[in-house]
Amino acid sequence: MARRAFGLLGFLVVAAIVALAPRWVSDFRAFQLATVGIYFIAIVGLNVLTGYSGQISLGHGAFMAIGGYTTAILMANHGVRDLWTIPIAALVAGVAGFLFGIPALRLSGLYLALVTFGIAVSFPSLLKKFAGLTGGGRGLNLFGLPQQTGGGVSVKVAGHELTNNDWLYYLTWTIAGVLFVLAWLFLRGQAGRALRALRDSPVAAASAGVWPALYKTLAFGISAAFAGVAGSLLALAVAFVNPDTFPISLSITLLVGAVVAGIGSVLGRFGSYVGPLAGASLIVFLQAYASELLRWIEKGIPLHADPKAPGVPAMIFGLVVILVMLLFPAGVGGVLDALTSRLSRRSY
Amino acid sequence: MRKLLLAGVLVAALAPAALAATRSDPGVDANSILIGGTAPLSGEASAGAGVARGAEAYFKWVNAHGGVNGRKIDYRYLDDGYDPSRTVQATRQLVQQDKVFAIFNTLGTANNLAIRSFLNQSKVPQLFSASGATTLGRDFGQYPYTIGYIPSYAAEGKIYGQYVVKTRPKAKIAVLYQDDDYGNDLVAGLRKGLGGRARQIVAKAGYDPTATDVASQVAQLKGSKADTFMIFAFGKFSLQAFFAMNKLGWRPKITIVNAVASASGLMALPPAKSTDGAVSIVFTKDPANPAWAKDKGLKLFQTVMRRYYADGVKSGYAAAGASSAYTMVDALKKAGKDPTRASLVNAATHLSERGNPFLLPGIVVKTTPRDRFPVSQLRLQRWHKGHWNIFGKLLVAKP
Amino acid sequence: MTQFLQQVVSGLASGGIFASLALALVLIYRATRVINFAQGEMATVSTFVAWSLVHHGMPFWGAFFLTLALSFLGGVALERVVIRPVESAPVLTIVIVTLGLAILLNGFTSVEWGSDVKKFPSPFPTRPIHAGGVAFSIQDLGVIAVSIALVLALGAFFRFTKLGLALRAAALNPEASRLVGVRVSWMLALGWGLAAVLGAVSGMMIAPVVFLDPNMMQTVLLYALAAAILGGMDSPVGAVVGGLALGVILNLTGAYVSFIGGTLRLPVALAVILLVLVVRPSGLFGRAAVRKV
Repeated sequence: MARRAFGLLGFLVVAAIVALAPRWVSDFRAFQLATVGIYFIAIVGLNVLTGYSGQISLGHGAFMAIGGYTTAILMANHGVRDLWTIPIAALVAGVAGFLFGIPALRLSGLYLALVTFGIAVSFPSLLKKFAGLTGGGRGLNLFGLPQQTGGGVSVKVAGHELTNNDWLYYLTWTIAGVLFVLAWLFLRGQAGRALRALRDSPVAAASAGVWPALYKTLAFGISAAFAGVAGSLLALAVAFVNPDTFPISLSITLLVGAVVAGIGSVLGRFGSYVGPLAGASLIVFLQAYASELLRWIEKGIPLHADPKAPGVPAMIFGLVVILVMLLFPAGVGGVLDALTSRLSRRSY
Repeated sequence: MRKLLLAGVLVAALAPAALAATRSDPGVDANSILIGGTAPLSGEASAGAGVARGAEAYFKWVNAHGGVNGRKIDYRYLDDGYDPSRTVQATRQLVQQDKVFAIFNTLGTANNLAIRSFLNQSKVPQLFSASGATTLGRDFGQYPYTIGYIPSYAAEGKIYGQYVVKTRPKAKIAVLYQDDDYGNDLVAGLRKGLGGRARQIVAKAGYDPTATDVASQVAQLKGSKADTFMIFAFGKFSLQAFFAMNKLGWRPKITIVNAVASASGLMALPPAKSTDGAVSIVFTKDPANPAWAKDKGLKLFQTVMRRYYADGVKSGYAAAGASSAYTMVDALKKAGKDPTRASLVNAATHLSERGNPFLLPGIVVKTTPRDRFPVSQLRLQRWHKGHWNIFGKLLVAKP
Repeated sequence: MTQFLQQVVSGLASGGIFASLALALVLIYRATRVINFAQGEMATVSTFVAWSLVHHGMPFWGAFFLTLALSFLGGVALERVVIRPVESAPVLTIVIVTLGLAILLNGFTSVEWGSDVKKFPSPFPTRPIHAGGVAFSIQDLGVIAVSIALVLALGAFFRFTKLGLALRAAALNPEASRLVGVRVSWMLALGWGLAAVLGAVSGMMIAPVVFLDPNMMQTVLLYALAAAILGGMDSPVGAVVGGLALGVILNLTGAYVSFIGGTLRLPVALAVILLVLVVRPSGLFGRAAVRKV
């Protein structure tokens, strides 16, 4: 009980911080934080799959691409208003995920990782092939379309004039909050118990009457739907999609983010939302500030490395990923879970 | 007294106007001008980072020699990994957070198209984009703040078509092309240059930029019995194409290789039997070509690079960057003592720059508000015995 | 017909390339039950080391064998430093670590050697040979021959040497192996060392054909994975057959199915992976590895 109270209190505090953040930061920072929200959604979705169902996906970038292109095609070619495309993107990606979940049933751990890796690697070539629909390599531009809320300038919400970036921020985090609660409701119920049982002891679960195929494909579908929403929001935030928007590195980055977040961190506890937040922040800020980080390190250790040399961002990112895995194999969420449960135990 | 009062009122009324007149747009202060851009510092296209670094080196040189109208140029370029969505994010950071005056020299076709609407709506100049997409120069009605730099790929393809018509009118042509905007623009230009002879393209084979090698495509093209081979490829794929030609024992009468793939450093790698006699276009002074050893402009280039970007001394990418940086400095000078974004765009669309030291002698970088292809003169060159030899006169390359 | 044969032959040539990297993947999988996503990047680093040695005046074969030795040490060191701490962690953790390693090594090669394309000397003559209108080079034959020689050597190693047996035992049943005195942990390091050696060979065979740059192996890795799965993940013979078959499949579909052309090669490789895993998960030569719950 104490744990849950702790979790609820923490959630309220975090929610309050999230709601007020744009007041304290610059306009651009709000945009950056909106992208953190986008990754947050994708990571929570990936956690449903990998953390609870135990299936590794290195292909969630492809589901994001499905969501992103659904939004872009509907807006650019069919004149659908941007907000309406978000649930459609979720649906399309979710169905795609559910369908893929069926052959995925036959694949265990590593093999599933391999196949999804293959999907992520080859998906951009497919997007380029169907250029009539997707705009090919040139992509689809959404900026300034009449279907874009606010036309990229500013949006009026309940009498408040929000800049485009603040609008994106609130849109993303509102959706993120709703989806997080939905994931929590899904996982605390029968489905969550069934999935955990399947992950930890498939044979026992099956003999106890859990139908593995249903729950596993369902987990795949839900997880893909989350990725679809994230892709849709990414398309709206960037206001542009092309095949290179969803490269294999995106899929890798997502899984890294999910693992840093702490796979399988119990939803509802402190770590379950701070973890994905940490994972998503790592993705966004490490990419943006790798050169600065190197410069900062150089102040202490003279490496004589050129911070602008090609490859430096990749080196830093790879290094951080490995270090996190070696030092906190349970991820940030896992560490926090352990910490908070110790704290709450001590206080009672 | 009344006069004094009147004067006081006048001053008070005029003061804001006077202040407004001297206040410039973001990114410009008394000592510096901040411009921004993106380049692939990571990922598969990271060789292209040389363009940004060559430009940066030239700006540093200019700063060390007094800057532009007393201001130093601060050129901030961020990594986009050649991924357009990251270009968008980095460009927003530059415009909205770092408050740059203008975006300069962004590399890549899709990357430039991805930020074009945003920059035009924010009224931020998008100058001298490092891409040969025709739309960057053509669609100024919709995007008045955008201008490209290098000859468009379509114009380049057209030149090759005209060259074939002139030298070998009965040619049977096979084309290897990268299946994206860049390759398709070249092919479209080639058709235009061939005119009624476009039917003489007997075979075409595309490849995806993620391919491992193009030997299979070249084998297919050889089977078409073509006697003229167009290589519209990128970097190492053109090398593989030459390599495959050699392996298959295919010796077309004419081999043409597009400009991006024609760096001397690359051409020297495949067996000489396959590359000898290949034709391409050129508009910058190739730092690896001994023909320029005594040229003043190239000596300046080498001095600049030695001081600020040692790896760029022989790099064609760095030369391309330096040439556009030279034009940028010109445009900034012409934009006036207190440049505004509008005056900068105005300057960039009224260029008549002679003697850019990094471009071929005779090339005039000329623009008008309705003609936005700054570098649209070039020459042909032929590869022989390990280096390029320029031949023919200056040609006009307009799409 | 000549066209057809030409496509088959050049497909075999690129298949030889896939096969050599697939062998390294299979070796690590056999020794440690891990798929090493950094295998391609490790091979690239090795190849750059060899390039540097040759560039500084070392004769080719000297550089070749010195690189193999260095790669072995590098592979062992990587296992000790990076993989060892997560040895008993879930599959996911190890996958992430090898992915992190791949990203790190890719960045490292760009920083250390720059991203320009480099020519790598070929150990075999590149002179063309014409037979019945079909052209190929001694280099193509060389790449395939090296792959086959490696399979034979590996087969002998696993079957006839004590070390090879210990390596296999450690992978299949670590607990029992420990009881009979096999130093399991070091066996894993040895597996990584050997795979690094195979990767280095593969890189040095591939580089003369596709040219050397930091991203040389990125797409080759997917093709190699497809080849390994086609052959059966734990079969060296399968890796080679799978690689050659994949090369031919890609070329023929590319040349004769106009929808696929030169641009859908990656999706074709993916289709091969999916088809094999769904229809015959053990591949052509492997033992069943996919279980159904």
